[in-house]
Amino acid sequence: MKKLTTMVVHLFLIVASVISLFPFVWMLMGMTNSSSEILKGKFSFGSMLMENIHKLLDMTSLGAAFWNSAIIAIIGTVGTLLLSSMAGYGFEIYHSKSKSRLFGLLMLSMMMPFAAVMIPLFRMFSGMGLLNTPTAVILPTITTAFMIFFFLQNTKSFPRELLQAGRVDGLSEWRLFTRIYMPTMKPTYAAAAIITFMNYWNSFLWPLIALQTQDKKTLPLVVSSLASSYNPDYGIIMVAIVITTLPSVLIFFLLQKQFVQGMLGSVK
Amino acid sequence: MKKFLSVLLLVTMTASLLAACGSSNSDSNTAGSTDQGGSSKKKVVAWAWDPSFNGAALKIAEELYQKEHPDFELEVVDMAKADLEQKLNANLAAGVKDGLPDIILVNDPNIQKYVTAYPNTFADFTDKIDFTQFSPYKVDALRIGDKIYGVPFDIGVTGMFYRSDYLEQAGYTAKDLENITWDQYIEIGKVVKEKTGKYMTTINPNDEALTSILLQSAGSWYITPENKGNFVNNPVMAETLRVYKAISDSGIAKPVTGWSEFVGSFNAGDVATVVSGVWQVPSIMDAKDQSGKWRVAPIPRLNIKGGVNASNEGGSSWFVLNGSKNKDLAIDFLAKTIGGSSEFYERFLKEKGGVGSYIPAFSSDAYGQQSEFFGGQAIYRDFTKWSTEVPGISLGMYTQEAKDALKNELPNILQGADLTQSLANIQKLFEQQVQ
Repeated sequence: MKKLTTMVVHLFLIVASVISLFPFVWMLMGMTNSSSEILKGKFSFGSMLMENIHKLLDMTSLGAAFWNSAIIAIIGTVGTLLLSSMAGYGFEIYHSKSKSRLFGLLMLSMMMPFAAVMIPLFRMFSGMGLLNTPTAVILPTITTAFMIFFFLQNTKSFPRELLQAGRVDGLSEWRLFTRIYMPTMKPTYAAAAIITFMNYWNSFLWPLIALQTQDKKTLPLVVSSLASSYNPDYGIIMVAIVITTLPSVLIFFLLQKQFVQGMLGSVK
Repeated sequence: MKKFLSVLLLVTMTASLLAACGSSNSDSNTAGSTDQGGSSKKKVVAWAWDPSFNGAALKIAEELYQKEHPDFELEVVDMAKADLEQKLNANLAAGVKDGLPDIILVNDPNIQKYVTAYPNTFADFTDKIDFTQFSPYKVDALRIGDKIYGVPFDIGVTGMFYRSDYLEQAGYTAKDLENITWDQYIEIGKVVKEKTGKYMTTINPNDEALTSILLQSAGSWYITPENKGNFVNNPVMAETLRVYKAISDSGIAKPVTGWSEFVGSFNAGDVATVVSGVWQVPSIMDAKDQSGKWRVAPIPRLNIKGGVNASNEGGSSWFVLNGSKNKDLAIDFLAKTIGGSSEFYERFLKEKGGVGSYIPAFSSDAYGQQSEFFGGQAIYRDFTKWSTEVPGISLGMYTQEAKDALKNELPNILQGADLTQSLANIQKLFEQQVQ
C-alpha cells in the first residue's frame, strides 16, 4: 500500500516537473530553429542558433539594454534590502502602538493597483526632471509594503537576547543592526534579494512609461518590441528571452539554499 | 565603527551613482530630442512599432529628404504597438509633453479616438498634402469633421492567397476563383476538402479579422459614423454573420486559436486559401519550400447590394504632435516623402514589401514586378488595382469595443442561436460598454 502511494506521488511529481520544464525546453529548442520551423511546431534542436544570435545583435542594442537592466536591478535590490530591512527591524524591535497603526496604513498601500498611481507618479517624476533615468525606475519601488512586511515577519523570530547581549557589551543601536541582526538574517536577505531582483529585472509597465529614449531601454522592453512586428521572427525572440531569463535563473541557483531557508524563517 | 563607515560609503556611492546617471541623462535628453537651436543638425523623433517595416520606411523617407535637406536627422524609437499606445496615453493623460516624439504612428481604428479624446493635440494636414492622390477609402479613415489629420501610410488591401496545386487537384483553375461569392467559395472548399483532404481556410472565433473584411467589402462597419452600434437593422451585418456561420458549419475551416497557429497552418501547408491583407505576403513567403505554388485572387464578395470583391484589413498613418518643437519640420518631412513621393513608395515596396495608398506609384515598375514565389504573377499590380475598389468607411471611435461585444456573442451565433436576437444582444452590450 505504501509502495503504491509513493508511486502515485512520484508519478504526480514527474508529470508536474515535465509540465513546468516544458516551456524552458521549448525556449531552448526555439533558439536554434528558424521562425517558420517554430510555427510549424518543430520539436527538436536545429542549426539556426548562430544566425539567430547574429540577427538579434544586429537588430537591437542588446548590450546596452542588458547594462541598463543590470544597473537598475542591482542598485534597486541593494537599496531595497537596506531600506526595507531597516524599516522591518524598526517596526518590530522598537514596537509601539502608534507604530503599528502606521504599519497598518502602510499595508493599505499594497491594495492600491499600480495603474491607479501611474499617472500621478509620471507627473511627479516629470516635475523633478527625473524621467528617462534609472533613478526614475528604481525609486518608486525601492521600499515596498510587501518587503517591509516580509522583514517584519522574519524579525519576529529573531532572538532578542542577542540584541540584549550586544547592548550589555556596549554596541550602539546602529551596530546592533549591522553587526548582529544583518549576519543572523542572511537567509531572509537572500530570499528578499531574489524576489526584489526578479521584480526589478522583469518590471515592465513603469519602465515603459518612465524611460523614453532607445538607449535607456531595459531588456523586457526590447523583447516586447521584438514580439510585436507584423512578421515576428520567433527564433530571434527566443534568443532574447533566454538572455533575459538567464540572470534570474543564475541568481536563483546561487541563492537557492538560503532562499528555501528564508521562506521557512531564518532563525530556528 | 569600520562597518558603519563602509555602509556609509556604500550608501553615498550608490547615491552619487544614481545622481550621476540622473544628471547626465537629463542633459542628453534635452540636448537630444527637444533642443533644436544649439546644433546645426535638425533632429526629429518618431515612434513606430516594427523596425523592419514602418521604422524602416521612415529611414527610407529620411534618406530621400536628406538629399535636399542635408542637415536633417531622424531618430526612430521602436516599441511594441500596445506599448506605444500605453506610453502615448500616459503622456497625454498626464499632460506631460517631455519625452513625447514629434511623429507617431497610429493604427487606423484608433484615429478618431485619439483626435476626439485629445483635441488640438495632433496637427491638421488638410492643406499640407494633395489627398486626391491617395486611395479614397484610406483618406476617409483620416477625415474627422472637415479636417484631415495625418499622412496615409500602409494599407491592408485584402486578397485571397491560394495554393494553386491544391485547387488544381480539386479541379479548379484560376478563372474559377475570379469574381465569386462566399457561397461559391464554400462550395469550392467542400470539393477541395473531399479531393485533397486539406482545409480550405482557418477559423478563429476569438479573432475578428474575417468579419471586419466582410463588413468593409460591402461598405459597412461595426459602428455607424455617429459612433452608434451598427448591429441591428443592418443587412450587411446579418449577411456577414450568416456567411461566417456557414463557413464554420461547412467543416472547410480548420479551427485555430491564435496568430502563430494561423500562420503555422499555411506555412505547414494545411490550408488551401488565406484571406488576408497584403502585409501577409512576407509570412507566406517564409515557407520557401512552397515557392511557385501560391497565387492571389480577389476575395469573394457578399451576395448583397454594394458587395465588392475587395476589402481592407489593418493599416496605419503618421501623425504629428501639435506641441512638438519641430512641428513644421516634421510636417514638411512627412509631406514631401510619405505624403507625396512616388520614389518613396517604390523603394518601400522593393525593400520592405510595404504597400501604400499613393496612386501615382501604382504605375511604376516596382509595383509591376513579377513574383516567382507567386508563379510569376504581378501580385502588387493586382493588389493596388483592388485597393482602388475598396469601399470607404468611417472607422469611428469605438471599433474595439464593438468588436469585443461581437466576440462575446459569437460562440452563441456559431451554435445556432437566433441571429436577430443575438444581434440585438450585441447592440445592447455595446451600448452598455460605451456609455
